[in-house]
Amino acid sequence: MKRYIYILLTILAVCASACRKLNIPPQNIIQDPDVFSTPAGIQAYMARLYSELPIEDFRYSPQRGLNFFWIISPTPATTGEALSRDQTSSMQENLGGWNWDIWSGSYTVIHDCDYLIQTLPSYAKNFTTAQVNAWLGEAYFVRGMTYFALVKRFGGVPIVNKTLDYKVGTSTDALKVPRSSEKAVWDQVASDFDFAIANLPAANADYSDGSRANKYVAAAFESRAMLYAGSVAKYNNITLFDGSQNQLCGIPASAASAYFQKSYDAAKMLEGVYNLYLKAWSATDKAAQYQNFVNLFSDASSPESIFVREYKYPNSVHGYDAYNVPRQLIGPNGYSAEVNPTLDFVEMFGGVPKNTDGTIQTLDASGHYILYNNTMDLFANAEPRLRATVILPGDAFKGQNIEMRRGIYTGAAAGGISRLLPAGSRSQYPATNLVQSSNASQTPFTLPDGTKMNPAGLSGTFTGDQTCSLSGFSVRKWLNPNLPTSQVLENNEDQTWIEMRYAEVLLNRAEAAYELGGANITDAFNIINQIRSRAGATLLAGAGSMAIDTIRMERRKELAFENKTYWDLRRWRTFDKEQNGTIYKILMPFYSSQAGKYFFDSRTDERNDVYTYDPKWYYEQIPQGAISKSTNLVQNPGY
Amino acid sequence: MKKTLYYLAFCLVAIAGSSCSKIDNYPAPSNTLKGSVMDAGTGNTVQTETGGRGTRVKLMETSYSSDPTPYYFQAMQDGTFNDTKIFAATYKVSVEGPFVPLVLTDNAGSVLSDNSQNVVIKGTNTVTNLDFKVEPFLRVDWVGQPVFNADSTVTVQVKITRGTANSSYQQDITDINLYVSNTKYDGSNNYDPRYSKLTSYSGATGTVLLGQTISITTAGGALPQQDVYFRVGARINAGLDEYNYSTPVSIKYP
Repeated sequence: MKRYIYILLTILAVCASACRKLNIPPQNIIQDPDVFSTPAGIQAYMARLYSELPIEDFRYSPQRGLNFFWIISPTPATTGEALSRDQTSSMQENLGGWNWDIWSGSYTVIHDCDYLIQTLPSYAKNFTTAQVNAWLGEAYFVRGMTYFALVKRFGGVPIVNKTLDYKVGTSTDALKVPRSSEKAVWDQVASDFDFAIANLPAANADYSDGSRANKYVAAAFESRAMLYAGSVAKYNNITLFDGSQNQLCGIPASAASAYFQKSYDAAKMLEGVYNLYLKAWSATDKAAQYQNFVNLFSDASSPESIFVREYKYPNSVHGYDAYNVPRQLIGPNGYSAEVNPTLDFVEMFGGVPKNTDGTIQTLDASGHYILYNNTMDLFANAEPRLRATVILPGDAFKGQNIEMRRGIYTGAAAGGISRLLPAGSRSQYPATNLVQSSNASQTPFTLPDGTKMNPAGLSGTFTGDQTCSLSGFSVRKWLNPNLPTSQVLENNEDQTWIEMRYAEVLLNRAEAAYELGGANITDAFNIINQIRSRAGATLLAGAGSMAIDTIRMERRKELAFENKTYWDLRRWRTFDKEQNGTIYKILMPFYSSQAGKYFFDSRTDERNDVYTYDPKWYYEQIPQGAISKSTNLVQNPGY
Repeated sequence: MKKTLYYLAFCLVAIAGSSCSKIDNYPAPSNTLKGSVMDAGTGNTVQTETGGRGTRVKLMETSYSSDPTPYYFQAMQDGTFNDTKIFAATYKVSVEGPFVPLVLTDNAGSVLSDNSQNVVIKGTNTVTNLDFKVEPFLRVDWVGQPVFNADSTVTVQVKITRGTANSSYQQDITDINLYVSNTKYDGSNNYDPRYSKLTSYSGATGTVLLGQTISITTAGGALPQQDVYFRVGARINAGLDEYNYSTPVSIKYP
């Protein structure tokens, strides 16, 4: 009996002591003190915040969302900047497709910012005040960016500036935060950026290379956001109110000028701190101006880069070159030529012969094609920025002549060649007198002088497959001229994405100034000429000749293929005007075997892809899943 | 031991069997809601297009909440609607499309007028008819029949008038388009871009055409020898910029 008592007592002793030991924090979960007590912990936290920062970079497309590797429906192919074989119409963002959960994803980031903002102050004793303020500033910056990403898509969204704590078994009503008015969200974006500007240093103490925010980064994005808000207030005409008369979509027009002023002031803060990139520039040398604009996108020490996202093989990569090299430089993966600039885009630039209506001149006075010895002759005086943005037919890239040719015309050339199709025709080219190629394995054609020539250029255009240039052009911007063709692979490129550069800040300022009007217009004029001078374009004669479209077009040229035009067309509310049953134009070079010269035919996209932007897309559909979970959310109009 | 096993097996079968027998599916909806969206001025149904940019019917189940998540279904392009899978319930019904909204609000979001209709649907296999009288932004009416020209293009004539006197919906006409298609489902989302004639107007240049007979000729040369339908759509810059349409007409290739 005594033995049993001893055994029981032993068990009791063991159990009792065991119980005491259970009261320790779980060892397999990272606790607040682990993260918030050391700079390394904060850095890990920041790494996550920045990696989730919603910016439309190399890994973004409206079809597949943010941070997705496969970019074969590229953004420029939705804006009229370019054509692409995989993008054949206007589109709204495919929210919810390809695992892109913009709603939950954004609110997770906002939660993570809120958590840092609430928690860091209680660990402040571990750091200097400057460190704590800077990190708080970064959290506000990331939160402001995330609200910006939401409001530009949905209009008013729920504002959640405190982490929501749910106690199991209690009502979930408090979690169903309703949408705030659109204006309230833009004001939230402004106040988050204002906090960041006030608390961040001039150079980020952890990383000063532009990959993390400083006060000027926050100011630059504030200028972008406030310009967006001002444009919505001025140009939007879709409205939606909830039951409590909050305006969920649309901002009263009276608020526009205050937003433009805020955009202007924020942009002005960067004056003298950042500069336009001019390292290789020369006022008199067009080749230098071209090279300067090319270098701007690859020079890590560029004084123009304000905020960047860095890539590094193999941890963080993209596939920009693999998807976008011209067909003749195709990499081992087999992708190429996904972004083919439209003639509509190219016609925005100066230095190209034009008709009085602004379209490119390809015919002489008698209605015959103008003949050229080389395809580049048409672009001999083109603005250097155009050459640095677009590979023109016959231009050099990676030491090759990038050959773009639709076919060989074998008809008579004496007395001039008339149009192959009537003006405005959307039909196929007539096959008579035309030698074409259906794909890249071509059968050479024997010219009258006995030499052989492929019907189509090495980079297209082919009639049977669309791996080639569809428009007579190929994109140049961002491409790495030093990447060997064997390395032109998906998930293998690591160029830095420049999300914010000083040229945009200047253009924000010019646009805000013009919208404000009055004496500000001189400032807008000076800025546009600064941009044009760097680009090698002819300068504007006087402020009086400027219109809002002058500034908008300058912006579209300067920021083309940087995924900015998509958002500009949205905030100007001109997407549906530009894409209104629109078929974009292309420029097809032909070789006349009889004349031994080239000519160009300007026509609409041979595929007859029609672009029509539905105005309801200015406000995206709130995901149905979000509404099911939080029934206070009101859907946007038309969905 | 064996006995216990049998008992357990029996229990399992009993539980499994009873769980299956209780089917708690709600009976499938069987009531029908049909009707039409008519031009209050002319009594004709309001022509729209198929799909998301046409007229749709909005149902609000108001018996449990004054502000429920709405249920929508799409009307047909001729302005009629018919949904045969409606649950018995209390509904507030309205329609949305290229006409003056049934629920009008002012700039601050206060409801000025609400012409939604309330309907209680009970029982099963019932049919409820609802007609809505609306004021379309524009009326597009044919003037005569489309005419085949000598070059095998087609010229149509239409007259466009405003369907409402509401001062908030007197915006300028932005587009007048002749859509050509080989089905009658002809509209801004379905047309042959080679032959359709799309015209945009800026400022008041389109608005001055109101009330006049407008001639539009197909683009792109001779029409191919196949079924062909014509429809004219016009719109003003109001709401979601949806088009008002004429009826689709077909003509025989001569």
